[in-house]
Amino acid sequence: MVQILVGAGISIGVAAVLAGPLAPAVEQIASRLQGGAAHGAADRHKPRWGMVIDLNKCIGCDYCVYACQATNDVTDAMRWNIHVVDRTPTGKTFHVTRPCLHCQNAPCVNVCPVTATYIRDDGLVVMDYDICIGCRYCQAACPYGARSFNWFARDDSPNPYAPEWGTPEVPRRPRGVIEKCTFCIQRIDLAKQTGQTPGVDAAVTPACVNACPVTARYFGDLNDPNSPVSRVIATTPTFRLREDLGTEPNVYYIPPEGLAL
Amino acid sequence: MIASIRDFARQSPAYVVWIAFLSVLVLIGMVSIAYVLIHGLGVTNLSDQLPWGLWITVDLSAIALGAGAFTLSAAVYVFGWKRYEAIARAAVVVGLLGYTSAMIALFVDIGRPDRFYHPLLYWNLHSVLWEVTMCIMLYSLVLVMEVSAIVIESTRLRQNRFLHLTARVLHRTMPLFALLGMGLSLLHQSSLGATYGVLMARPVWYSPSAPVLFILSAVASGLAATIALTAITGSFMNKFLLPSDVLRGLTRFAGIMALAYLYLKVWSWAATQYYSHSPAIARDIELLAENTPYGFTFWWFEILLGTLIPAIIFLWPRTRGNRLALITAGALSVLGLITYRWNTTLSGLVVPLDWSPGVMQVMPVVEYTPALVEWGVTVGIIGYWWLAWSLAARFLKLYPYARNPGEPEVELEHEPRRATVQRAPTPAAGD
Repeated sequence: MVQILVGAGISIGVAAVLAGPLAPAVEQIASRLQGGAAHGAADRHKPRWGMVIDLNKCIGCDYCVYACQATNDVTDAMRWNIHVVDRTPTGKTFHVTRPCLHCQNAPCVNVCPVTATYIRDDGLVVMDYDICIGCRYCQAACPYGARSFNWFARDDSPNPYAPEWGTPEVPRRPRGVIEKCTFCIQRIDLAKQTGQTPGVDAAVTPACVNACPVTARYFGDLNDPNSPVSRVIATTPTFRLREDLGTEPNVYYIPPEGLAL
Repeated sequence: MIASIRDFARQSPAYVVWIAFLSVLVLIGMVSIAYVLIHGLGVTNLSDQLPWGLWITVDLSAIALGAGAFTLSAAVYVFGWKRYEAIARAAVVVGLLGYTSAMIALFVDIGRPDRFYHPLLYWNLHSVLWEVTMCIMLYSLVLVMEVSAIVIESTRLRQNRFLHLTARVLHRTMPLFALLGMGLSLLHQSSLGATYGVLMARPVWYSPSAPVLFILSAVASGLAATIALTAITGSFMNKFLLPSDVLRGLTRFAGIMALAYLYLKVWSWAATQYYSHSPAIARDIELLAENTPYGFTFWWFEILLGTLIPAIIFLWPRTRGNRLALITAGALSVLGLITYRWNTTLSGLVVPLDWSPGVMQVMPVVEYTPALVEWGVTVGIIGYWWLAWSLAARFLKLYPYARNPGEPEVELEHEPRRATVQRAPTPAAGD
């Protein structure tokens, strides 16, 4: 027993000594996990990007699916934004489209062993393709199946959805890494330079939102009460997928007729 | 050189044939690994819905079956039960084989093997898998230290003065390594269960007992595998490799661990699946029952054949001294463990996620049969494991108290007896 206690003491001591030189690394991780909150100063408004999808309006045309595939250069097998047909308790069918929900308590971010996926301070859950080791734990952890793995290397064949549904704005991902919906991060980051507003100006709004022929999708800053999403949420009953899991998604749904909340 | 190999082959032709056979398996594995590395994971039958399969089962099983190493190292160097030195070396070698096998499986299984070191650079302290990776890397280093001491001491390398000194230093610091190894093993063997247990989105996985079940099953089956392997090796070498009181203590400990595992496992089943009436779990179990042999394999392979029968064989005085019975018990225990790891990995993934807001099951049940190349890599890893063991058992001094049949247990009498006197009357039962 004494040996165990002494040994435990030694182990803790060794751990403490080892931790000393590693302090910078730990700090770096901490700041990274907080999404680089250091420069988030109080003087600047911090957005939290979110989406509202109206299941009452959705007609299941798949335009959002194709626009996403064209803009983000996604294959059919790896769709970031999917469409499924569901049914209400009274037997009425309705269409659900599901991008990544950009959870604020994201299981995929918590489980990643190498911080390859992380939450930015504007609420986006994104991937660092240069860090991902392809262990696929995030796929097992995501409650919504929103992550795709590059099982094959991409060839140079043209994207069948371009240019009809849009032009690719991001490079193809390498074999062996996970990819996922980014809310068209390239457009949101462009907004910082052009001064435009995502969700209002089409050039900086996710492709799926622009493509919807029945405006079933709204995009904007959930922290801004005047954004399109905040106004819809304030006036219409909404729900989020599997709220019981506590994942805090940034995507809200308006229920179809006949589906109780 | 060639002449001595020829002599050796003439002395033990069966051994040479066995080694050649295993080499073929290793070759199959190497070809399969090369194929996967060249063409990518698309050649497997894994999918986005079922991203983990046979290789993860291999990885989990190999690590679990190496659990005898930390258990027996701790017994000898931390708890001071010196007589278990009779098997500790063998257990440590089995441990290193398990961990290297797991690393091979993981290396092939990750999408970017060129980045295998990334967990060392990019720390996610919140990730149980990061903790597992770090522990496994560190513990493998501990095992390498322990095994290199054995290699130096039991080969001609000890004639080198520097290596001889190294081995002595390693031997002196063994208690520290054993302690470190015990800590790291308790951590990652359990965390491997937590890897599944913490995922809320998968009702059949989400369970606080998973970490404890993983370590209990690992210790029970790891010891059982070490005992059976010793029995198999002994019968091929025509020797008694362990003093009988060491074997008695070992089998008793393995049996008690199996019963402890069985107790928790049955209660875990009863609490989460039977008495809880959780609709989510009930749905998943129903889907598994309709689409897979999950229920059958759980009760027959994991519980009855894999745990209860080995426990009886190890604890019943009439069977625990019988070599064939011990080999059977070990094989059944290993079968039970592999089934447990396979069922765990597959059960949570086969049942589809339930996120859609309506009443329809919008996602299909996932099907998975490992591809040929997945079997190829697996066969290669099994071949490597047996090949390395066969060479180690032949060329290293793994069993310091081995004796020929008919020889009395002389030299080992005083050391074990002293230990027995100190800790009478149930030294191995783990108080």
